[in-house]
Amino acid sequence: MTRKEKIFSLLVLFCVIAGTFAQKQSTIVLDEAVLTDAKLKAFAHGVKVKKVKDTLTEKNSVSLTDALRFNTPIYFKENGYGMVSSPSFRGTTASQTAVIWNGIPVNSQLNGQTDFNTINSENYDEILVRSGGGSVQYGSGAIGGSIHLNDEQKFNQSLKNELLLSYGSFNTQKVNYTSSYGTKKWTFGLGVNYNASDNDYKYLGTDQKNKNGEFSNYNVNANLAHFIGENHLLKLFHNTYFGDRNFSGTLTAITNNNYKSITSRSLLEWNHFSAGFSGKLKVAYLYEKYKFFINKDRSEFSFGKAKNTILNYDFKYYLGDIKLNAIVEYNYTKGEGSSIVIDERIITSGTVLISHEISNKISYDVSLRQDFVKTYDSPFLFAATGKYNLTKFYTTTLNASRNYRMPTFNDLFWNPGGNLNLLPESSIQGEWGHILKKPNYQLQVAGYYISSKNLIQWRPPKIDDVETPKLDGVWTPRNVDSSRQYGGEFEFIFSQKFGKHFFDWSGVYAYTISEDQSTGNQLMYVPKHKITSNINYSYKKWNSYMQTLYAGKVFTTTDKSSSLPGFTVTNIGVERKVDFISGLQITFGLKINNLFNKAYQNMAFRPMPNRNIQTQIIIKF
Amino acid sequence: MKIKHGILALMAVGLFNVSCNNDDDENNIPLGVYDNGILVVNEGPFLDGTGTISFISEDLETNESAIYNKENNADLGNVAQSMRLIGDEAYIIANVSNKIEVVNRYSFEYVATIDTGLENPRFLVEANGKGYVSNWGDTSDETDDYLAIINLTTNQVEGTIPVALGPERMLVKDGVIYVAHKGAWGTNNIISVINTSTQEVSTTITVGDRPDSLQIDDSDNLWVLSKGEPAWTGAETAGQLDIINVSTNEVSSTLEFGSTEHPSYLNIEGDDLYYNLGQDVYTLTTSATSLPSTSILTHTAAGFYGMDVNNGRLYISDAGDFASNGTLSIYDLSTNALVKDLTVGRNPNGVYFNE
Repeated sequence: MTRKEKIFSLLVLFCVIAGTFAQKQSTIVLDEAVLTDAKLKAFAHGVKVKKVKDTLTEKNSVSLTDALRFNTPIYFKENGYGMVSSPSFRGTTASQTAVIWNGIPVNSQLNGQTDFNTINSENYDEILVRSGGGSVQYGSGAIGGSIHLNDEQKFNQSLKNELLLSYGSFNTQKVNYTSSYGTKKWTFGLGVNYNASDNDYKYLGTDQKNKNGEFSNYNVNANLAHFIGENHLLKLFHNTYFGDRNFSGTLTAITNNNYKSITSRSLLEWNHFSAGFSGKLKVAYLYEKYKFFINKDRSEFSFGKAKNTILNYDFKYYLGDIKLNAIVEYNYTKGEGSSIVIDERIITSGTVLISHEISNKISYDVSLRQDFVKTYDSPFLFAATGKYNLTKFYTTTLNASRNYRMPTFNDLFWNPGGNLNLLPESSIQGEWGHILKKPNYQLQVAGYYISSKNLIQWRPPKIDDVETPKLDGVWTPRNVDSSRQYGGEFEFIFSQKFGKHFFDWSGVYAYTISEDQSTGNQLMYVPKHKITSNINYSYKKWNSYMQTLYAGKVFTTTDKSSSLPGFTVTNIGVERKVDFISGLQITFGLKINNLFNKAYQNMAFRPMPNRNIQTQIIIKF
Repeated sequence: MKIKHGILALMAVGLFNVSCNNDDDENNIPLGVYDNGILVVNEGPFLDGTGTISFISEDLETNESAIYNKENNADLGNVAQSMRLIGDEAYIIANVSNKIEVVNRYSFEYVATIDTGLENPRFLVEANGKGYVSNWGDTSDETDDYLAIINLTTNQVEGTIPVALGPERMLVKDGVIYVAHKGAWGTNNIISVINTSTQEVSTTITVGDRPDSLQIDDSDNLWVLSKGEPAWTGAETAGQLDIINVSTNEVSSTLEFGSTEHPSYLNIEGDDLYYNLGQDVYTLTTSATSLPSTSILTHTAAGFYGMDVNNGRLYISDAGDFASNGTLSIYDLSTNALVKDLTVGRNPNGVYFNE
């Protein structure tokens, strides 16, 4: 049997077993059906999943970059504030971090990445950071880790409304409105946002300003859920984002660019379940389009767009302490652009997952996945994770996986340069984690190792290369490098209450070695050290906080000949809640970003903002 | 100022190899510390950085990076496209910064900045006491390309000459400017002939597609090397070498390359012409009636980005992976052997000689 046949026979066998047995596990089944992305918990015992605090997104606002920069090990490279922002998670490349929206991967089909400044994080009920490989469950790009944006369906909840208004330096404006409501059978959620800024901050230490950095964006999130009878649950999710940005110049270059983008995501889920099993049919439609104006005062632009349809059936069978899960998926993408002739790609995949809770103390899971694509052989993916609660306070976790990143539409079809002979990037990794949990503190340590090969890099043409045509100066993507990442992450949370005083402190330290395997050089824009700290202190209706971020030196060339120095940025803020009448609460907030007015850059020659002030009012009713 | 200093120091990595500040000695050295050597123009990265100039002494023993940045405590500008040495001055064109930095060519001390009247400047030549700068104009507009006329005393743009799409390298012969129109972001196949007394285009000469470089020989023949259309355009054409008689401004003969051959970087020294094709360097004499079939040397460059010939030596600028320091490879043309590889700045694209 070929590998393909083996997997499908496994799937068939599995469905047969599933149909034959039935056990009473209705509450678990129901709970998991209601959860937005049950896989995050059910089949990842030994994986580090961190919840970003609800309050944090409000404090940091504007974008997903802001929400994650100050409290995760992820390093962000921004082309100036609010401009293109790409992550480096555990030292991996920008397209090796996956963004998952309600269980659906949403990295651009065109360039394989997510620009973290084009995601409005404000409306999501839950933002989770899942460290390490997750390709079996989340597909291409989940190598360094994945970021999960989830809407929650809140049954039996009275109507809740929240209006946030904010204004600050550089004419930065923000309006958010969220609303949610749920009965026994229905739920409804809505979020609307508007952000805008002149973004003309000073380049500290020079007489220049950030020119051509204006941005604005609109964002809508909406979701619905409905129980049709006891055993059927329908869910609908939607998100549309419209962004209009100029692209900032640099210390040496003035630009006059503008970039308009729209992304639209819709997902319909039909859950049907009964004692012992559950099935979920998902249909998702993702649309993305950008227009790039090299001169914003003229009408000429270049563009790219992609439409992505996903059909996914997920069947889960509950057998005592064992959960069996099989998923089949059909994924169709059509892309076109100024430099891409209309082209399409079909990927089908089969996944099997098994999770076993041996006891309260020990649990593990194993999962396998194979993708099928016409143009290349996709690697056979696996993941095995386990957790052992050694004592009441101490848990150790272990995981190993093979993950991948497939060539993007740009990599394959860009004219000139696109290369149809590309293979997916393939990576294997392992991780050992430790969690110490005490009533008022938690300590988490993880060590990992990632080895990736066939990295897709755009390079000038190699004249003696017989596989790629002579391109005469035109760059082309090739599977060239191998990289190796290893390091450690240390995280702690500490909280203490004295009467009406509440104090909490959380911190992250990440040590990251990320090397080109052939030269041994640290990869560009990966700091060896990153530290973040968040301190909160509240007293009655007052709350104050301080956020600090330190990122070490990064190299800006592959031969380590140039670098950017490390930097420390600190923000502080204070908030006061006022209860006006029952059911109406207003919070007034003031935040000072870059308190010490430090000049810093996370991309060479692109300074970040000087000290600035943001004010905000949150009205809950 | 802290950050700027920090960056300057970083951009000038290697500058610490050179021992001391030469301020004290300046009065004793009439032509300055950067006389008698090679100046390498390093484009630097697009947007996120600065172009730099490396200085290499004639004996190839001293190799100093980012000399503009060092002498003036400032960044040179984004994408250093080219340089022209006129009198005591060096004119360095920063393409993305839309400016020209004028410095003393021997001390590299700042003289002036020309930053109005330029849009996507490329190259500069001197004719009849004035400077002429090829400009692409707005790259979205194929009809706004021009030459900017520079008053070399005031260092200001004092006029323009509209030209066809994509003016690039230029050559001056008896007060007449020959402009190769490589075509900017599009494509073109002409040489504009500019009369500098009327400041107008007097005629155009059709050559091969994408004329890349031009040279004049001792018999007043103008040699124009065109790359041809690359394969990815879907309308590939062969490279060609056109020989133009400058008294009639007509093509007198054409040497054609193979249909998939796209040569570049035509150089001349005495009666010998040199060009690059693939990884190879070829030579022919000005009396040749056909193209050579064997190369004189093969340079296994990762990123062949410029080629210059001077005084019996061939200089290949190699940009490597375009994300690290480049290499200048120097060959002896009497033996065609490598003399030395030197590390220069990011994306080196050409060398100039202070001699």
